[in-house]
Amino acid sequence: MTDGYVQQPGSSKDVRVDGKRVAGKMSFNPPGSGGSRPEMAERDLDFIPEVEGGREAQPAGHHLHDKYRTGTTVGKRTPLVDGNAKVTGQAWYGDDVRLANEIIGRIVRSPHHYAKVKSIDTSKAEALPGVLAVSTGADAPQRFGVLPVTKDEHAMAVEKVRHVGDLVACVAAIDEATAREAAALIEVEYEVLDAVHDPKKGLLDVDDPIHWRGQYHIGSTNVQKRVFQEFGDRSKLEQARATHHGKWKFMGVNHGFTEPHAVVAHWDPNGRLQLYTPQQVPHYAHRALATVLDVPMHQVNVIRTFVGGGFGGKSDPFPHEMCAAILARKAGRPVRITFDREEVFWVNRGRHPSHIEVQLFADDDARISGFEIDALIDGGGFASFGHVTSYYNGVLATAPYELGSFHYTGARVWTNKPASGAMRGHGAVNTRCAIEVGMDDLAEKLQVDPIDLRLANLLPPHSKTITGFRITSNGMRQALERVREGSDWDSKFRQLPLGKGIGIGCGFFISGSGLPIHWDPNKFPHATVHIQIDMDGGVTVHTGAADIGQGSTTAVAQVVAEVLALPLEMIHVRSHESDTSPVDLGSYSSRVTFMNANAAITAALDVREQLLDAASEILDVPAKLLILNDRRIYNKKDPAVGTSYLQALHKSQEDKGALIASGAYRTPPMGGVHKGAAAGLAPAYSFSAYVAEVEVDVDTGLIKCTDVWAAHDCGKALNPLAVEGQIIGSCHMGLGQVLSEQMVYGRTGHLQNPNLLDYKIPSVHEMPNVTPIIIESCDPEGPFGAKEAGEGPLLPILPAVVNAVYDAIGIRVNDLPLTPDKVWAAISKKMKREDIADAQDLPVPRIDFSELQAKIAKRSTEHNDRDGRRQRSEDTDPYINGVLFGFDPSIPPEDQDGDWKISVRPDSGQLESLGLAGSAWTKIEQRKMEDGK
Amino acid sequence: MLMPPFELHLPNTVEEACAIAADLLNSGDEFDWIAGGTDLIPNYKWHINTKPHVISLTKIAGIDTISMTEIGCMARLSNIAESDSVHPLVAEAASKVASSLIRRNATLGGNLCLDTRCFWFNQTEEWRSSIDWCHKCDCGTGSDCRVIPNQNTLCVATYQGDIAPNLMVLNATVHLIGPKGARSVLLHDFYQLDGMTRNILEPGEFMLKITLPEDIADWTGSYRKLRVRESWDFPEAGAAAAWKKGDRGTLRVATTALESIPRRHDEEVASANGDVKAICDAIYKSTKPVNNTSLPPRYRRNMIKVLVKRACEESK
Repeated sequence: MTDGYVQQPGSSKDVRVDGKRVAGKMSFNPPGSGGSRPEMAERDLDFIPEVEGGREAQPAGHHLHDKYRTGTTVGKRTPLVDGNAKVTGQAWYGDDVRLANEIIGRIVRSPHHYAKVKSIDTSKAEALPGVLAVSTGADAPQRFGVLPVTKDEHAMAVEKVRHVGDLVACVAAIDEATAREAAALIEVEYEVLDAVHDPKKGLLDVDDPIHWRGQYHIGSTNVQKRVFQEFGDRSKLEQARATHHGKWKFMGVNHGFTEPHAVVAHWDPNGRLQLYTPQQVPHYAHRALATVLDVPMHQVNVIRTFVGGGFGGKSDPFPHEMCAAILARKAGRPVRITFDREEVFWVNRGRHPSHIEVQLFADDDARISGFEIDALIDGGGFASFGHVTSYYNGVLATAPYELGSFHYTGARVWTNKPASGAMRGHGAVNTRCAIEVGMDDLAEKLQVDPIDLRLANLLPPHSKTITGFRITSNGMRQALERVREGSDWDSKFRQLPLGKGIGIGCGFFISGSGLPIHWDPNKFPHATVHIQIDMDGGVTVHTGAADIGQGSTTAVAQVVAEVLALPLEMIHVRSHESDTSPVDLGSYSSRVTFMNANAAITAALDVREQLLDAASEILDVPAKLLILNDRRIYNKKDPAVGTSYLQALHKSQEDKGALIASGAYRTPPMGGVHKGAAAGLAPAYSFSAYVAEVEVDVDTGLIKCTDVWAAHDCGKALNPLAVEGQIIGSCHMGLGQVLSEQMVYGRTGHLQNPNLLDYKIPSVHEMPNVTPIIIESCDPEGPFGAKEAGEGPLLPILPAVVNAVYDAIGIRVNDLPLTPDKVWAAISKKMKREDIADAQDLPVPRIDFSELQAKIAKRSTEHNDRDGRRQRSEDTDPYINGVLFGFDPSIPPEDQDGDWKISVRPDSGQLESLGLAGSAWTKIEQRKMEDGK
Repeated sequence: MLMPPFELHLPNTVEEACAIAADLLNSGDEFDWIAGGTDLIPNYKWHINTKPHVISLTKIAGIDTISMTEIGCMARLSNIAESDSVHPLVAEAASKVASSLIRRNATLGGNLCLDTRCFWFNQTEEWRSSIDWCHKCDCGTGSDCRVIPNQNTLCVATYQGDIAPNLMVLNATVHLIGPKGARSVLLHDFYQLDGMTRNILEPGEFMLKITLPEDIADWTGSYRKLRVRESWDFPEAGAAAAWKKGDRGTLRVATTALESIPRRHDEEVASANGDVKAICDAIYKSTKPVNNTSLPPRYRRNMIKVLVKRACEESK
């Protein structure tokens, strides 16, 4: 034995030298310390904040949770706790579930884009030997959908099919071959309807809209949702010194996760449904299953398997989950359905194909006097998350810049395509790309450096955006400064030779949606964590948070380990079953670390208090003088006076058994009162800035992204290894959308590339050298200061690459992905227009700074001081969007400027001038028509 | 994804393989050959033109030779790519096929006899049923071509092999064998329009090996492949050029992935009198890709000028 304290109770002093037991003492097997090391480790002062006497620097200020830091795991590069299961092949994904007597389900899908189902004859399939169940839409008439306001899905078509691949019927048979054969025997009679493929046509009145919303239906169009938002003073836009106008087209993209959907449904002998599914959001699937199957929620146990990637694509309750449950109920045997990749594309929920138009205005002081955004998004056949996406396409552009005005019109239309939905960077990605490219163009026109233009127009920490979002921590400025320095920007920008370019892009994203999707029961927490410690000392943490590979299980284990000062291996997270896990709203909107870790900290603090009280009783030392460190609790003033974790635990278990604690998290009240004010509200926001360097082959149009400097403000990196993984992974995913990934709908409206050969996810060869840079702005409400790192880091890569391509060849292509044919066509067009014979003679953009450059550099220096003080809470004056334009932050801007508007409906006079999506507002809701009668 | 059941035959000798083929022909049973399977198996999984019998060449010894002048049909592409004894152009072409994993299975014979591809065709059964099938796999419906509708005679699916144009410019000869005996033809005479006919293989015949001229070590060349990703992707267009070292007058050019067959462009080269730009223009004029691969045909056609130019440039 070396230095340190022996951890185990029943240690040598209870045993006589001759080995016999001491009188009056029962010998018992020591339960063990639970840790692999017999002695206490020293406190790791490198990971204890300065304010608590450690050595961890706190440039962004202190945090409420600082006093609970024990130097155990927070801030340390920690391999994911489920990593071993994955690398040894023992993680059980959806299709790994094998139950006794299981049979195979197969779905019959629509061959038509849009059709009425006139009749379905299942008799031949039912007669086929080996077929055990057949089901059609008639078996499940209840509607469901992830958002309570737009429940427009059925397990299988009830009246109509809405896209090729839409579910019509399903069969279950003893094996896959029989199930396939049976599926082919189901005869469906269709009446084909006129399909809508072009989202622009979705704005028009038609005879047979894809869905009918009754009195809320907008005209007889296929508009599912329309949004109008106008904030600020637009009257000054006419005097803009520089304007940018960008008309963009974004192709739809799919998540491209590794694991196709797979589900196993089993009705147990007591008649309860056990449903195994790789879900990001098991709770909403749980609710929808209960509705569709018409059983109470407590009769359904949703078992989340390991999830082989989600990215938003496994967050809706899915019809195939209903089908498996219906078939299993009919057959009386477990039913497994595993998708082919094509079926993954048919269920889709990927990023919306979009037409986005942006106008940006800058005034004589290089302030951003306005953003005007019009976004028409193609929702495909169902609503999914589209209600939210419709807002996000606009409102998530209201930061990080301070705006003179903001005008957004958005519309989401149904078309006869697989449904679009939520995908990493939900709703924010496309508009962000358009805006950031616009900022680059504004800088060009103002003749200033685009990084300086951004730095001189940032909202500070602890401020409010133009639409009323509450910004707390904000590391945007540091992110920009770090990538500028890291990339050697100042010696490259507009100075590289033809074919080489460098570009900047920023990002802003929510860290948890402020409003839960299901808000009943009212004031129900967003996340709840239960902790249970029995006599063995191991800590069982029950959470419903769905680990989809992002590391939420590791994050929750880390924060519990940190608070209780226990080795990570003593924390056992149980998160798979709804029977045992408290409700967590799921892995979406980058909410998990923020909300679930906060809930876990609350629960762990409860346990900590119980342990300290027990230790206090044992040691006769006041609890506030006790320190927890690595399975030992001791007196701060005399470390020799202490007790082991287990002794304290056993003391606190006297007469009551296992320690139990529950912690919950709910967002604080915040935001404005206008319609749609809740969309985009979050308890914290992440910020990021990337610089990308590219090479463009001017003869072929092929783009190669070579280097990325990626700075992301995640508040506090609980696990830097995981944060870097998220940054690099986001770069890969975003690069796919900007360079090669697209869902191609051909001449006939069919998805031409529903496979991973033709849907081109970048390979390792296309990956640039990514330098992740973690910015820590210490969020006041985040767990130990942390914010999200899972989605925000995706946003900046798109505009950074597009801007870099401009720097390389002087051409902006506003049509993603930038496939070589589009780039080549743009180069050819320019050569023709400017009479250039050889692409090697293309002019390269260069810049001469105007007088504004010095002005904005001065402003950004001033703002740098301001932001530092606000970040460290040395300056706590209120700050609202508008101060840069001379407004008093203590008075609402609308009371200071007669032209300042807050409007969520267009005036009748505005209707004519609205953009493409805005034209949805020229249609009248059905109920308003009736009023007129 | 489940393949329909088929009977797998595993002959141990070339003669046995020919005998099995002859038997199946006599009994009227349809069959496919399988070598590495990287082309056939995906198609079978998609239920594309599946057959009840498959004859595998994997058990036959001695047909995976790799040397400067001879390469057996079962030579794996990874072995060709990594070999020091093959012609550098052949190694380069093999190294550019698909991905490292696929190259470990894929064979020379399979790559040369690659089925033609088309995005109306390389799809699941359900997908193809939703477009009412197509000419190349009509499932007995007599369907039209979906690329160029209203014609029912020609299949315009695209040949997207990488190695063929390179062997063509090196003047390779293919050696075929079948129940009716052996025969040899130049590789550039092996391919035959259209996208369904593909080549001159008779029923029961398979490609045994290729041979290259004795002086092949004196030749040099280059292969340029157009693709969006540097792994996995088939060529969207490809150009190979070769010439005898020090004698540009011997220049030969061949292209792939532009039509249903790869083509050697002797006429275009001859007409250009050694001017590379003229060769590019002539080939551009004589090729007409159609819209059935990832990138649009107009772009692919224009790119052939760039690819041919780059392939013809003296390299390495």
